[in-house]
Amino acid sequence: MTGTSLTAHSDVVIVGAGPSGAVAAGELIAAGISVTVLEQGDWVPADAFDGATPHWELTQLRKWHPNPNVRGRAEDYPIDTSHSDVNPLMFAGVGGAALIYGAHWMRFMPSDFRVKTLDGIADDWPFTYEDLEPFYAYVEEAMAVSGRDGNTAYPDGAPCPLPPLPIGKVGRKAAAGMNKLGWHWWPGSNAIPSRPYRSLQPCVLRSTCGTGCSDEAKATPDRTHWPQAIHQGVNLVTGARVCEIETDSPGRASGVVWIDGKGERHRHKADVVILCANGIGTPRLLLMSGLANRSGLVGRRLMMHPFAAVMGTFDDDLESWVGPAGQILTSMQFYETDKSRGFVRGAKWNCMPAGGPQSFRAGYGDGPLTDAWGTTLHERVRRKFGRSFEWGIVGEDLPDEVNRIALSDTQTDSSGLPAAEVHYTVSDNTRAMLDFHTARAVEAMEAAGAIETSVTSLIRDCGWHLMGTAVMGNDPETSVTNTEGRCHDVENLYIFDGSLFPTSSGMNPTATIMAVAAKCVLALIENRATVGTAA
Amino acid sequence: MTLSADQRMHLAEFAKVMIPGGADMPSAEDLMLWRDPIDEVLAIDPSRLEPMVRFLDLPGNIATLADVEALAQTDRAGFEALGIVLANAYFMHPQTRAAIGYPGQEARDSSGGLTPDDEALLKPVIARGPIYRSP
Repeated sequence: MTGTSLTAHSDVVIVGAGPSGAVAAGELIAAGISVTVLEQGDWVPADAFDGATPHWELTQLRKWHPNPNVRGRAEDYPIDTSHSDVNPLMFAGVGGAALIYGAHWMRFMPSDFRVKTLDGIADDWPFTYEDLEPFYAYVEEAMAVSGRDGNTAYPDGAPCPLPPLPIGKVGRKAAAGMNKLGWHWWPGSNAIPSRPYRSLQPCVLRSTCGTGCSDEAKATPDRTHWPQAIHQGVNLVTGARVCEIETDSPGRASGVVWIDGKGERHRHKADVVILCANGIGTPRLLLMSGLANRSGLVGRRLMMHPFAAVMGTFDDDLESWVGPAGQILTSMQFYETDKSRGFVRGAKWNCMPAGGPQSFRAGYGDGPLTDAWGTTLHERVRRKFGRSFEWGIVGEDLPDEVNRIALSDTQTDSSGLPAAEVHYTVSDNTRAMLDFHTARAVEAMEAAGAIETSVTSLIRDCGWHLMGTAVMGNDPETSVTNTEGRCHDVENLYIFDGSLFPTSSGMNPTATIMAVAAKCVLALIENRATVGTAA
Repeated sequence: MTLSADQRMHLAEFAKVMIPGGADMPSAEDLMLWRDPIDEVLAIDPSRLEPMVRFLDLPGNIATLADVEALAQTDRAGFEALGIVLANAYFMHPQTRAAIGYPGQEARDSSGGLTPDDEALLKPVIARGPIYRSP
């Protein structure tokens, strides 16, 4: 590489300041290991978010949209989705996509770690729910998880450090319907404090979690982890886009090269390199660097959780713009495999408020473009606004090597690096699963008294959960890293994000991403003396 | 780029047809939506101006939704921009919010947690026992 300035060094360099990077940095610095973190985005202060303003619904369509192609910011990289059924969603910044996540906090279920054994498909994880349980509990303390203990969907009840948020009129309506059918539901668990907690304020139920919390009341790593890590000595560099992992002649990582906002290149040398850049950013960087791909699986097995939704409208005034959003309730009634349904695995449901009035402006289907206007606009908003809620359905996505990330030949980011190109098709199993679940959710709405329901069978802008693109395992021929996130081919190169996941579960993955990161980084610290470093 | 007088007049024609009022909600004309409310939206998200102006510059008289539909089919992106600007101007307006009983995404106390009624609803779920599948 030429034209590089400012060489620096630390024991460890981490790429990405999202949830997994935050866990890793905090543990490493506490163990006395020097850490530099390179993040292509910037800090986002709470007052930058628009939730408390009248124009919240306007800016969520561009400035705070979860699709980087819609936002079009220089610090995001574009993603070619022309070969994908689903748009990946993410955010480059300190805290990562958590800055605009819904904070739905779900542990994976015990069966999620054993799908090969139980259902004969995909792969088992190299560890069990019980192995990961202490790490869940550990990260849940940091993430201010609110919820009700004793969830009958979990062997240990999935205890939470804080009591649950209110379920409100919407939750009571949804719960009554589920009770009529004898179906499982539970008050939602969210990384949103119901009480003042460490550096976080209590939730104010504003229901704008998905466009960033303006009330400092959502657990995101920029509040829960980075201030303490920086206080302890972590060097967090923002506006730093990593373009290459460098290696020495024996093939060990020697550091990274990164590009600043002015286009200047920098070299950062480190004994250990850890990638925490999400299920697209991590394989993109590996592919750009030509590393760790003996198995041919870097970028493959992409899973994104196709998402469907059923909206119900009621006669009652439910104040259904009130949060949390956040999830009000969840249901795992149809989570486990029942092959008589015509598919394997299942889906988690989350009950959500319906949001502001503009949620009801748009029509459905392929009708006239003006269907949402004229007297219809007024009648629809009057009938539905405040009286509707949604059962969202997160379907388990099985790994398929055809679903993959590649480097674009035609698009580049603002630094001139190849954009990510996504090749992704929703499988027949997933489509059958979503059809079954939406039909059940319509029944749940009707049992709750809905006077009208509408089904969205697949939402294109739903690729929040990016997993599987650098799978962990024991065999270097069939996995990218070992069971502790250490690359088989580059012994001092690690991956700690959702790329590692052998399967996706049907759960929101942040809890498991952070728990796995904690498990992996503690193993790295324990085994540090055996990690070969570059000459 | 700003709206010319002709473009603003054309915008008013669209607004009157697309937001006629009804169901105890105000019309675009009641709110003079094409004046300050539109400017407020464009100040917050100026990226909508260029495609909206492109759409407003399309020739044609606007008297009915069918007229709007015909033009929308010729420039979907422009029509989408117009729709976003009009809808946000409308629903950000205090009179519209008052009419539909919407206080905005207001702050409320979350410390109450689950009520006794909520816990009562949960009893049958608990009574049915565990539902997870043991590996």
